[in-house]
Amino acid sequence: MTKRARSGWLPRAISWLRNVTHREQDEREIAAEVSAHLALLIEEKVRAGMKPEEAERAARVELGGIEQVKEQVRDARAGAWLDTLVRDCRFALRMARKNPGFTGVVVLTLALGIAANTTVLSWISATLLNPIPGVAHTSDLVTVARGDRSDHPTPPFSYPDLRDLSERTQTFSGLLGYHDDYMSLTGVAKPERLYGALTTANYFDLLGVHLILGRAFLPEEGTPSAGAAVIVIGYAVWQNHFAGDAQIVGKTIQINRHPYTVVGVAPRDFTGCAPGLRTELWIPLPMDRDVWGADRPAYRGTYWLNVMGKLRPGVTTNQAEAELNLLMQGIVERFPEYHQDSPNEISLDPLWRSPFGINGYLYKVLPMLLGLAGVLLLLACANVAGLLLVRSVGRRREIAIRLGMGASRRQIIRQFLIESLLLGLLGGGGAIAITVWTSRSLAAFFPPSNLPLTNDAHIDQRVLFVTIGVSILAAILFGILPALRSSGLPVQAVLKEEASSVSLTLHKGRLLSGLVVAQISLSLVLLVCAGLFTRSLQKAQQADPGFEASHLLLASYELSPAGYTRATSAAFDRQVLDRLSALPGVESVTLADFSPLSFSIHTDYLQIEGYVPQPHESMEISRAIVGPNYFRTLRTSVISGREFTAADTVDSQLVAVVNQAFVDRYWPDEDAIGKQVTDGRDRYTIVGIARNAKYRLLTYPSEPVIYLPIYQAYRSTQDTTIHLRTTGDPLTMASSVEETIHQLNPELPLFNVNPLSVTMQLGTLFGRVAATFAGSFGLLAMLLAAVGIYGVVAYSTRQRAREIGIRMALGAEQRGIYRLVLGQGFRLTLAGLVVGTALAVAFTRLLKAQLFGVSATDAITFASVGLLLAVVALVACHIPARRATRVDPMVALRHE
Amino acid sequence: MTQEQTNLLQGTLDLLILRTLRLGEMHGLGIARRIEQITQGTFSVKTGSLFPALRRMQEEGWIKSAWGESEANRKAKYYRLTKAGRKQLETETAKWERVALGISRTLEAS
Repeated sequence: MTKRARSGWLPRAISWLRNVTHREQDEREIAAEVSAHLALLIEEKVRAGMKPEEAERAARVELGGIEQVKEQVRDARAGAWLDTLVRDCRFALRMARKNPGFTGVVVLTLALGIAANTTVLSWISATLLNPIPGVAHTSDLVTVARGDRSDHPTPPFSYPDLRDLSERTQTFSGLLGYHDDYMSLTGVAKPERLYGALTTANYFDLLGVHLILGRAFLPEEGTPSAGAAVIVIGYAVWQNHFAGDAQIVGKTIQINRHPYTVVGVAPRDFTGCAPGLRTELWIPLPMDRDVWGADRPAYRGTYWLNVMGKLRPGVTTNQAEAELNLLMQGIVERFPEYHQDSPNEISLDPLWRSPFGINGYLYKVLPMLLGLAGVLLLLACANVAGLLLVRSVGRRREIAIRLGMGASRRQIIRQFLIESLLLGLLGGGGAIAITVWTSRSLAAFFPPSNLPLTNDAHIDQRVLFVTIGVSILAAILFGILPALRSSGLPVQAVLKEEASSVSLTLHKGRLLSGLVVAQISLSLVLLVCAGLFTRSLQKAQQADPGFEASHLLLASYELSPAGYTRATSAAFDRQVLDRLSALPGVESVTLADFSPLSFSIHTDYLQIEGYVPQPHESMEISRAIVGPNYFRTLRTSVISGREFTAADTVDSQLVAVVNQAFVDRYWPDEDAIGKQVTDGRDRYTIVGIARNAKYRLLTYPSEPVIYLPIYQAYRSTQDTTIHLRTTGDPLTMASSVEETIHQLNPELPLFNVNPLSVTMQLGTLFGRVAATFAGSFGLLAMLLAAVGIYGVVAYSTRQRAREIGIRMALGAEQRGIYRLVLGQGFRLTLAGLVVGTALAVAFTRLLKAQLFGVSATDAITFASVGLLLAVVALVACHIPARRATRVDPMVALRHE
Repeated sequence: MTQEQTNLLQGTLDLLILRTLRLGEMHGLGIARRIEQITQGTFSVKTGSLFPALRRMQEEGWIKSAWGESEANRKAKYYRLTKAGRKQLETETAKWERVALGISRTLEAS
């Protein structure tokens, strides 16, 4: 071979080209040479004294078949493998076209099986694998979190702590901090509330984001004393509000009615570094005073910054974590007064499971869904393998003839695999078409919410590449068994058989049965998972949240960007409550700085009278700022004491309400009423105890919550949400609420006007995603398994038509025949159910953490799914069984 | 037929054909008969091996072919060595001699 490569690649390449371009001429040439050769041979024999006819026969024998010789020359031709491939592909295409029904079913089955995988993969690719769109290299970026690793991390660092860590760290090439929240773009034609971030000056440089216009922040713009009112705007803001003005850099725009100079425009893809959240404005940290009226960078005790770091090359996450913990310990020792209330353990996470944003949830759900999709694909492969196997029986004669004509076993296998490959790739193509549509479905699960959720799952290069790979892999998986089986035929025996009496060999029958059992068992696994997720979602939705969600309309406004002070805010809030409660159709109305089950409740660090925290116990407690009549409006009962009234103002005693969980945890066996709690600035006296209500996730246990009255606990950074209990459909009140607010202030935007029952869907988002997809995978699996068992039973019944005919001729009853066929299906189903149950028990253990209110081996789910599957399988067998009883013995036997 | 056998025979057949064509141009049957004659029947060249080999060697550029007439005025395709073919013959011969020498030494030694 090497010899050839050295001396003759050029002549060979030229020959190859000629072979391709002069195909017909070449064929004529070969034919002419072979026949000339034959003529010479005959002549030679005649000269040796043979008679002409005798000579011709002898010559033909010596030649060994004109067509064979031609074929051998063709095989020696350069690029012969390509010819074979093209021929095999053409044959495969012809086979596919000849059997459009079969091809259609196989391609659809594969398309659905592959699409399930590519859909989930497109989400994983867009979220876990691409955590920060617009930042190509995220492998050396980590999030830095302090305190318990929980599902709802609060910003963990104060600016002075972050600065100290940044200055001392050796393992990071840099640490960045940011705080994101809503801000308002004002002074434009259409003011808009946008999610923005206050960032450290190194933000863009550290992430490696290159602005498309202007520059990133300068180091001096990030120092606390700086007052540089500069801003980087997102691409969408630039396009939508400034028409893509190329001269935008240097111009002044308004945020929360303060002027800022635009210094840069972010690239189109980049929407901040919290996965799944869309940030569109960036301002240096020291401008906190202007934007949100606070001065948080100055305080060591104010934890408000999310921190990310870029590891130095060669540094491992563990080393960096150890170093930061050491540094943090030093800080705690120097400033114990600011750190004693909170745990100071630091943990680092790669961005695919970044606790900031949506990945913290998705990284648990998506790989699980991918696992389920993988099971579905396996099932689809088993299904297709069964179909191919059955079909290959019908092709036994064709294959035997080809083997008899001198085709090698390898050639037959190659032919079969190429046919499978064609089916697999057609299925992959179908899957891509389906995924174009389904990849966007994740975003469809996001309810209207107060979070700037964004999801741009689509078919990217990675997904496309994997789809092709998976299609090929699947083709090999489902194609190899039928190929091996069919190519090992006993040629003589098959050719002697009558085509109509060809029956399954015992071996092949067993293989087919195995495939059916595999399908039933895999579909049981998927159905059990679907059942568990569905029941878990139901449990979550039926769980008593501690408030009544129906007939509640929410609407939010934000006062401080509109120029309100503490006093004018309180006056405005009062007017809102007065006017709204006077509207017809309104039962009661209140205000709050959050809404339930939408990830919007805030926290505070509290000192609790009479309670000594454990060392490093987090005293970060959920804190709700609510208006008068909050508990009455939400229908959360106050167990003892009283709720807030309009009389709880700055001029009266500072009061608070706590929930039952708070009392149970901090004052068990004591009377909570009259005790005091300090939030760092003010001391509140407890006047009431409320029933527990769930504000984060329905699936979380009740946690301690403290409620503070809105007129006493003013926070300039808060937005206010109206909670309106209506007598009728809450949405019908939306326009009159908007009207009322605009009468009070025509400029003030009212946002997130939605019924609570809609926005609280966010709390079950991941449960719904899991239940919906596991459910559809399960149903699809059941359908495939039903088709699979139907196909095999129907097929083998057809093969046994003669046997059944004989039985009937000998006097077997129809009922007996029916039972015979159904029994075969039933045995397969039973075996599938047993295997499937064992698999499911092993598999569902992995889901335990995602289930709520239902055990991973929930007997009801297992039993009902098994029953359902058994019924479906028997119905699928019923059809061929009925058909078998109608076999006319005369016809069946004569057919022989 | 296993792969090794084919290769061995193929290589040998190539050498024999090249050697035969050194004497002058010849058609397929002539080549076959000449090889049979020289090797005194040790190698009987089957048409099914001869033509693929000729085809392959043509594509390598070792031999060229042209239609001509046989002694009895029959149409036949004649093959002749090219420059590259002569060079190939030298390499192949040298290689073959090395192998043959090695083998016969081994046989003698034992």
